[in-house]
Amino acid sequence: MKLMKVLIVLMLVVFASTAVLAAEGGNSRKGKYLYKKNCKTCHVAGSEGGELTPLSKTQKQWDRFFNEDKHKKSPDALKKFSEKDLKDINQFLFDHAVDSDQPETCG
Amino acid sequence: MNKFLTMLMVLLLLAPATVMAATVDELQQQLDELSQRLDKAERHVATDRISWYGDLRNNAHSLHYKDVTFSPGIQVDYQDFGGKMATWGATIGAAGDTAAFDNDPTTIAVTALGRAFENFNIMAGNFSPTQAAIMGQGMANAGAGIPISPLMLAPSTRTYDIDNQILYTTRLRLGMKAKISDNMTFAGRLGMFKNWGDSTGTKVFDSWNAFTMDGTNGGNTTGDFLRVERAFFNWKHIADTNFYLSIGRRPSTYGSPSNFRENEKRGGTPTGHLVHFNFDGLTLGYKLSEVTGIEGQAIRFCYGQGFESEWGNGEMFNNETANLKDTHLGGFNIDLFDDGATLAQLTLFRAQDVVDGFKGVFAFPIEYAALFAPTLYADMQKFPTFNFNTRYTPSSVIGDINLVGLNIAHTTDSEVTVFASAAMTQLLPSGKAGMFGGLGTDAVFEARLSADGSEIYMEPVRAENSDTQEGYGLYVGLQVPAPMGKFGVEYNYGSKYWSPFTQAQDDALGSKLATRGHVGEAYYVVELNRNAFIKLSGLYYDYEYTGSGSPVGKPKKIEDVQNGKEFSLMPVVASAWDANVSFTFKF
Repeated sequence: MKLMKVLIVLMLVVFASTAVLAAEGGNSRKGKYLYKKNCKTCHVAGSEGGELTPLSKTQKQWDRFFNEDKHKKSPDALKKFSEKDLKDINQFLFDHAVDSDQPETCG
Repeated sequence: MNKFLTMLMVLLLLAPATVMAATVDELQQQLDELSQRLDKAERHVATDRISWYGDLRNNAHSLHYKDVTFSPGIQVDYQDFGGKMATWGATIGAAGDTAAFDNDPTTIAVTALGRAFENFNIMAGNFSPTQAAIMGQGMANAGAGIPISPLMLAPSTRTYDIDNQILYTTRLRLGMKAKISDNMTFAGRLGMFKNWGDSTGTKVFDSWNAFTMDGTNGGNTTGDFLRVERAFFNWKHIADTNFYLSIGRRPSTYGSPSNFRENEKRGGTPTGHLVHFNFDGLTLGYKLSEVTGIEGQAIRFCYGQGFESEWGNGEMFNNETANLKDTHLGGFNIDLFDDGATLAQLTLFRAQDVVDGFKGVFAFPIEYAALFAPTLYADMQKFPTFNFNTRYTPSSVIGDINLVGLNIAHTTDSEVTVFASAAMTQLLPSGKAGMFGGLGTDAVFEARLSADGSEIYMEPVRAENSDTQEGYGLYVGLQVPAPMGKFGVEYNYGSKYWSPFTQAQDDALGSKLATRGHVGEAYYVVELNRNAFIKLSGLYYDYEYTGSGSPVGKPKKIEDVQNGKEFSLMPVVASAWDANVSFTFKF
């Protein structure tokens, strides 16, 4: 039981310090929310923009899209986002790109 | 002058056309070249149908076992034993008076009887007071109408520490993906897992982890061979519905929440707390989220076979082992909610007609020859480091196992992960037993006379009881971002009868999630880049009961085995720790 107590204390100490240790870079989960709310309005099957999912591009292709292409076909589409929002969306699409690690489940 | 100006103007007009013509030619050349290169790439993609990926992990462990005890014994029906001795004795006359029966084949039995008692008396002289008391109590019990009591097989209880200062392992995994059609895919994984300096494929059988078998090969070091850990197809949107079907060697290892400590995404479909085992079978799934709108919601019926009772067991001889039942596993694996950040997962499984172990191979320990096979031991003792490889086939259907578990894992926006999983296993013994016991119960041995009458040996004939036993498991953990990577702590507990299918978890000390007792772990992942990390880890196991990782046999308090009150056919560990560092490279 001594082991349990040590672990619980360790968990609390570490948990309390998490705000300081938050990861750098875009926030994938916020990016997912923004992507679904904004991008999926045009990029679904049969729509004008054509279906687009994170799996549509590789990680490098998504980076190129956000750093160079910047939605060249319709530049206004990205203008409504802040730099932080774009970074978050980029992070989400990068993290779930066709060459990213995927859950290894069936179905 | 006019002519000159006219010519100049014509030249000026023609110049861009000439330049343009050159540019178009160049562009055409570039296009042709690109087209040729694309053709090659297209050909390559079309013929290279499998997309490969993988990872390589090298691990250095320092392993330390505290208070290891080997106190072998069996449960014996003393009334049956006494009755047989009397019968055999009466048939051939007074024990020891063999001269008159020299020509009678049953005389040999007297020799066997005499040898048995002689051996027993030698052993009994070395019993500790506790062991001698247990033996005496057994005899007294038999006289008082209580037939079954322990028989200690070793003259004294040995307790020792084991320190393996360094153990190196290498694990190579090669993942495969292929597209069959728009709604069909193939996925697979080949794996090699070895400890450095050994590719024999077997270990000397000193624990259930030292058993090379179908369900745990992926998580136990075997050698420098690539094994097929996974191979299955997915057929989605069957007949334009939300049903999918998947058949093959299942993705049934490294499931949530055991994936966080591996620093990888959910590695398998069932919860890693209950199932961490290589199964062959199928999944019929339905994407409920399409109906309910609840993200990631899916219900799956899973089915697998853990033991084939006839094929390969010498069924043409029509012997006893070839007439067992197959072991089937079936149940439901339900993702209640999964949005990538939060997973709530419910698991309900039943293993039907479980046998006393699995088919597998191991190197036969000389210690078992000394206990059970004196004839074999007579020669084996001359070759103490020679272990013959043997194939084990279960002998009895010992019952059914129910498993149920609820796992909830959540990762916050700041990449902090917390999870908790609670599970229960229920053993439903059939009353039958193999050498190592029945489900959660010991085997009862009775005396047998060998075919030529030269030896009396003990044979498991039934389970001590068929009482239903329930075990409980708890698994909690926390992972937080830390400088250069992640830091995590985990704790798990398993009760006396805790019996999950997690034996393929590749912990060097044995699956931590199968432990009947407490396990604490702390780790630090240093991420070198997106595809490479170093992991420093420490695990401490505090065992409370014997039999972690196996539903076979009655669990006993570690202290009782240490002080000779109880026995175990396997060496028993009181506590152990593993300090290790690993280098993992994904590609």
